[in-house]
Amino acid sequence: MNSPVPDFSKNVFINCPFDSEYIPLLRPLLFTVLYLGYIPRITLERFDSGEQRIQKVCDLVQVSKFSIHDLSRMRARRKSETFRMNMPFELGIDIGCRLFKEGETRKKVCLILEKKSYDYQRSLSDMSGVDVRPHGDEPERVIREVRNWFVTNELGTSSSAAKIWEDFNEFMADFYQRREKDGFKDADLEMMPVPEYVIFVREWLARRASYQEPLSLKRAR
Amino acid sequence: MPDRRSESKTSRRVHVIARDKGWAIKKEGLSKASRIHQNKEAAVSSARTLRRRGHDVIIHRKDGSIERWEKARR
Repeated sequence: MNSPVPDFSKNVFINCPFDSEYIPLLRPLLFTVLYLGYIPRITLERFDSGEQRIQKVCDLVQVSKFSIHDLSRMRARRKSETFRMNMPFELGIDIGCRLFKEGETRKKVCLILEKKSYDYQRSLSDMSGVDVRPHGDEPERVIREVRNWFVTNELGTSSSAAKIWEDFNEFMADFYQRREKDGFKDADLEMMPVPEYVIFVREWLARRASYQEPLSLKRAR
Repeated sequence: MPDRRSESKTSRRVHVIARDKGWAIKKEGLSKASRIHQNKEAAVSSARTLRRRGHDVIIHRKDGSIERWEKARR
């Protein structure tokens, strides 16, 4: 029998591109996951040249109750570009894990994002009838879809998507100011390793919580 | 990392933020953004009036990153 995975019910496997073109959506996506109290799990969280990426993907899929798959970048956008099959492939691993593995992985839940409704069906007809949420390449819509999905599946309620989006913008100002003070240039900010960004968001949220706590206690009195 | 608690006491910041149907001005510390402007220019222009009252104006891009940071006129 499999032993329970620590943090299984808080882990969120993130399956999306990690290139600079996707950064405008990746940042708010990771921010929202952390904001709602979950742990984003990404293949970039550890870097070992000796480890095969597929093994990392399988490890993360197995330890994550939740997963977010963004299929919006799988289609080639330029003439000489090939299809990007990593995202649908990893979605298949995730669904396979839920269907064929015994134990707590049967409780896995996933959110599939696309740019426009039904775009994915042209290349992934096996997924017809599955609820896929469009984000239109809009960062605020990514926040709304992720927030609503967690609220529907587990949380019941949380801050509104508009509030999270406003907080994300305030966070970006602090992020910019802090990195500028530390001597980082714009290019450093764009190419910042994802794990470093996650640490920064965690610290910001913790500091914000400690700042807000006295106010709520004050109101309670 | 600057202490956010002391930061919020000493600096007043106003954000120009993209919204679904336009651009909003959001003062830090207030729970909600003010009214939505149809375009970014109008929102920036409105936010700049607060610079004279000691607010930094932070103009965001559509993705939330920082386009420009205009220091308060003190």
